[in-house]
Amino acid sequence: MSSPLSKPQIIAHIQKSLNYTVFDSKWIPCSAKFVCLGNFARGTGVIQIYEVQHGEAQLIKEVEKPKPIKCGTFGAASLQQRHIATGDFDGNLHIWNLEAPDVPVYTTKAHKEIVNSIDGVGGLGIGDGAPEIVTGSRDGTVKVWDPRQKDLPVANMEPVGGETRRDCWTVAFGHAFNDQDRCVCAGYDNGDIKLFDLRNMSLRWETNIKNGVCCVEFDRKDININKLVATSLEGKFHVFDMRTQHPTKGFASISEKAHKSTIWQVRHLPQNRDIFMTAGGAGNLHLWKYEYPAQRSKKDSDGVNVGVAGSVNLLQNVNLSTQPIASLDWSPDKQGLCLCSGFDQSVRVLIVTKLNVA
Amino acid sequence: SGEEGIYPHLIKFCEGHLEKLNPKSRALRKEIPVATEASFSKDEWNQIMDDLRTWAEETKKSETLLKQEPVFDLLKEKIPPVRSSISFVPLNEKSFPKQRTNSSKHVLPRDYQEWDKFDVEEECNKVDGVLKIDPPAILNTGHPNIKRAVDASLLSQQEKFLLASREKDKGNEAFRANDYKEAIAYYSRSLSILPTVSAYNNRAQAEINLQHWHNAMRDCQQVLELEPRNKKALLRRATVHNHMGNFQMASEDLRMVLQEEPNNATAIQLLSKIERKLSDCLPEQQSKGKKILIEELEEQEEQRACPVQPSQPVGGEESSAAPAERGDMGNAQKKPHSRGDGGPHSESSNSHHGHWRGKGGTSDKYKVTEESKVANGSSKRGSTASVQGDKRSGVKGATGGGKAEESVNLDAPCGALPPHLSRLKNEGNLLFKNGQFADALEKYSQAIQGYTDSGIDSPEDLCILYSNRAACYLKDGNSQDCIQDCTRALELQPFSLKPLLRRAMAYESLERYKKAYVDYKTVLQIDISVQAAHDSVNRITRLLIEQDGPEWREKLPDIPMVPLSAQQHRREEPPSEEVLQARAEKATRDAERRAEIHFSAFKQEGNDFVKNGQYQEALGKYTECLKLKPKECAIYTNRALCYLKLERFMEAKKDCDTALELEPGNKKAFYRRALANKGLKDYLACSSDLQEVLQLDANVQEAEKELEEVTVLLRQSLANTAQDKPRKTVPIKEVDGDEDMTDVPASESSCTRDNINLKPSSAYEFEPQLLPQYLSDQLDGHTISFIMKALDLHLLGKNPNLVYRHLHHLHTADRFSVVLMLLEKDERRYMTQLFEHLSAVESTEFTKGDVQNLANKYI
Repeated sequence: MSSPLSKPQIIAHIQKSLNYTVFDSKWIPCSAKFVCLGNFARGTGVIQIYEVQHGEAQLIKEVEKPKPIKCGTFGAASLQQRHIATGDFDGNLHIWNLEAPDVPVYTTKAHKEIVNSIDGVGGLGIGDGAPEIVTGSRDGTVKVWDPRQKDLPVANMEPVGGETRRDCWTVAFGHAFNDQDRCVCAGYDNGDIKLFDLRNMSLRWETNIKNGVCCVEFDRKDININKLVATSLEGKFHVFDMRTQHPTKGFASISEKAHKSTIWQVRHLPQNRDIFMTAGGAGNLHLWKYEYPAQRSKKDSDGVNVGVAGSVNLLQNVNLSTQPIASLDWSPDKQGLCLCSGFDQSVRVLIVTKLNVA
Repeated sequence: SGEEGIYPHLIKFCEGHLEKLNPKSRALRKEIPVATEASFSKDEWNQIMDDLRTWAEETKKSETLLKQEPVFDLLKEKIPPVRSSISFVPLNEKSFPKQRTNSSKHVLPRDYQEWDKFDVEEECNKVDGVLKIDPPAILNTGHPNIKRAVDASLLSQQEKFLLASREKDKGNEAFRANDYKEAIAYYSRSLSILPTVSAYNNRAQAEINLQHWHNAMRDCQQVLELEPRNKKALLRRATVHNHMGNFQMASEDLRMVLQEEPNNATAIQLLSKIERKLSDCLPEQQSKGKKILIEELEEQEEQRACPVQPSQPVGGEESSAAPAERGDMGNAQKKPHSRGDGGPHSESSNSHHGHWRGKGGTSDKYKVTEESKVANGSSKRGSTASVQGDKRSGVKGATGGGKAEESVNLDAPCGALPPHLSRLKNEGNLLFKNGQFADALEKYSQAIQGYTDSGIDSPEDLCILYSNRAACYLKDGNSQDCIQDCTRALELQPFSLKPLLRRAMAYESLERYKKAYVDYKTVLQIDISVQAAHDSVNRITRLLIEQDGPEWREKLPDIPMVPLSAQQHRREEPPSEEVLQARAEKATRDAERRAEIHFSAFKQEGNDFVKNGQYQEALGKYTECLKLKPKECAIYTNRALCYLKLERFMEAKKDCDTALELEPGNKKAFYRRALANKGLKDYLACSSDLQEVLQLDANVQEAEKELEEVTVLLRQSLANTAQDKPRKTVPIKEVDGDEDMTDVPASESSCTRDNINLKPSSAYEFEPQLLPQYLSDQLDGHTISFIMKALDLHLLGKNPNLVYRHLHHLHTADRFSVVLMLLEKDERRYMTQLFEHLSAVESTEFTKGDVQNLANKYI
């Protein structure tokens, strides 16, 4: 606290008010452009492309779609094509070529209800193996899609018949460090977190954090699972050390209550997996750094390895708005450049300084 | 505060106290508004904004590049196929999911019912598939599973760069998490995509942490190859050396680091530690100390660390040290030292030449000051190997002035050179300055090549280029090439200072002292203030006295103004024995030095005996000399003289042969062998020897006289014995005959080929397959039409097969297709006619189809 400027600073570089509700915003890889996804008041969906130019966000393209668009990802697209995959309120999965966004290059009715969350892997040089998209929906299913296969998911994680279907709020890929290994993590409204192993098509691990899971993210998709951050409704987030899985205790974790309300999003800095930002329901952003413990695993009383959680340090916290910040995205190309959009119908470009010294 | 229940002072106090107790307490976290321009100083803000702007511009550019690149589908082949089956992974939606699972897919944990259905075989298979092995905890330390190499062959440069830096980031993160093996795996991936200095450096550090010294060493070497003075790599290599017990090398590296960055705390700390260790283990190492040092320096050749310039101020000492085997500093440094010792000896032996003594004295004084520095240095080196740094810093100071001229600006214009050449030159200068002489050499060579290609007429610039390249050669110890380049430079710009000086140094290093002396003297005539030249002249004077005795001046070629003519006299001068000395080891050098003193003494005595006519005694002395130095040409010729006087011609001849082997152009040796041959009555050999002498120097009157005499004798002997003489001309005649044979006399049909200088007697004798060969590149439309006409009118009727063969071979001639295109209408008509006629002819040798094929090639 003594020298505030030696800490990372969060600067609101650009603020752009929008005439629709924005649900998701994403940087287009290898560019200074970003995409905003949302819905107009009249009940239709919208895709907008902006470019950062001379300290302003210039609208380049706008397309209206029949259904409100909830979420999008570039994770399964090649660097050259940079097609965005989106999920809408009607449960459709579309892949759009942003150069010609009128007709989707891939479309499928993925879910019966709204697609809450989407993630991709295998594109952009992140993650070995096939490009795959995972979607999580209110209908309680988590499905994995391969853009090369129409209509049918390549994996489907759904509750067996008769069980209550929980609303899946968030999905994330991870563990994609070679051709075969790949994991999907899903968070549900009842606080369940499930880790699916796509190689063995099995549920690898599950836990409950007692509050609805708003967002899960691995610190990196394309390494051996290392850390997982899960944020929850009551302003708490959990960091799991995924390196050591105890047979009964599972993964070691640390939880931190930071925000006064829901933590809507967590995003790890692409250039440093140990720094992440959480976005809260009160319009605030917290920048964290995870510190590893001296030993990441130890033997418990039975001589079984058990993980040891580290600690998190708050690097910076700022308040942007009074409304929740619903989406957060770091630029994959420029360290410290960040995009967030909230329910105050605006999108912001943030600059976070001094991330290297953190 | 005005509000109920809120007491600002209390809050402030509590917070203050809390901060003391627990500075990270959550209660202290305060929401702050997002930072704006006002939160930063102007500079900071500008920096941030500039940074962003440049990034935006750059990305825009790279994005357009990305779009321009073709989308290749090859990439898709690498991608694994779509997951084969639709797999359903049932979820277990229970409030306590850990207690009840009923899925066979479910591995952890199991309930009792599931254990009842437990299928061991199936489970085992499953276990093999995953990491789930019996030690129940799953350790996701999967680095063995990480592929160390990435196939990036299909990626564009930009993608490679991105990927490589991403893999490096992963490595850094793993490194920070203390997972060094994983870090190494990711660094290796990064390097397999695109080798970078930082990735090598980081991998080295990870290897160090894992104590894989050899791997770490390899990585450091890689870095230093890419970037010779990389501080981190040097520091890390020092650490590795330290751990491997090579303290000397470690301290060398650290010194290098400190030279770059004098305040590097780590380096200072490590160095002091190592020096303590060194001094501990020095006593038992002392005898070996020197040897280790030399080895090490050779090993480190790639570092090219000598920033020394061949500029004037460095002068004498440097010039003798630099060209010696690179890296072999120990020897090089020793050399002036030993010479210094040698000085007084020669002085005493030549003490009867008073006036030279004075000069020698002053030169000695010079020597002493220099020597003391060097000697001082080498003693230190013996103990701590610190001299390199010391010496270099010393030299650096001295060269400061000379260095200033080397501009850092790579694009600075240089004289009349076009930009790319001047850039090459400047790069070369920079490299030279950085001590990368080989690289600089290449740049200069390129520049010279480019210069000659571009055909610019600017001798000054070419002269400078040559001169600079000469400096590189000098640095690399390649004195021969240095001399060559200097000579070229001097041809372009006679009497330019630097090339002269460099050549002098090169000569000196080759121990051709007389030439060096001449060059130095010339330098001094151009600029009297060149201290290096003064020093060197003094030193060489002494050496020459030592070498050639009192008359050394007479043996010296004319010094001033005409250095080129001076070189011609040089041939007869025997090259000194010290060429060997330069390469010899220090141990043998001492012995040699002693031998040299004896040698010159013996030689002097021998010469004196000769003067007094006591040949037998002189012979003994010379033989003694040769025992000491079997490669001394002058002694052989001198001894040959003695043998001649004693009429022992066989031995004399043998000596002369040896002398000529050592020095093929020695005319004394030729002359004496001639005399010996005369004595042996081999007049023919004698006369050829004499002719050689006269060829070398037409002014040797004795030789002429002898030749006349011998020719008479030869004629006499010829009359009696063999006719050797004409033999010489015979081969020439034979050659003439051969040439004639190829020029076959002309005949009637040869008119067709007159214009190309070929005269086969007739088309029948002429071999068609040789046609292209004869024509070589002389073919033109005229010739073709001549050939066509000749074939059509003269040959077709008589021998259509031959016509076919001619045509068959003609089109393989050089330039045929070009000429064909340029044919005029008439000529084309002839050709068509010929082919028409030819196709009308029936023959066993070719069919109509063949003719048609051939015609297609012509028409």
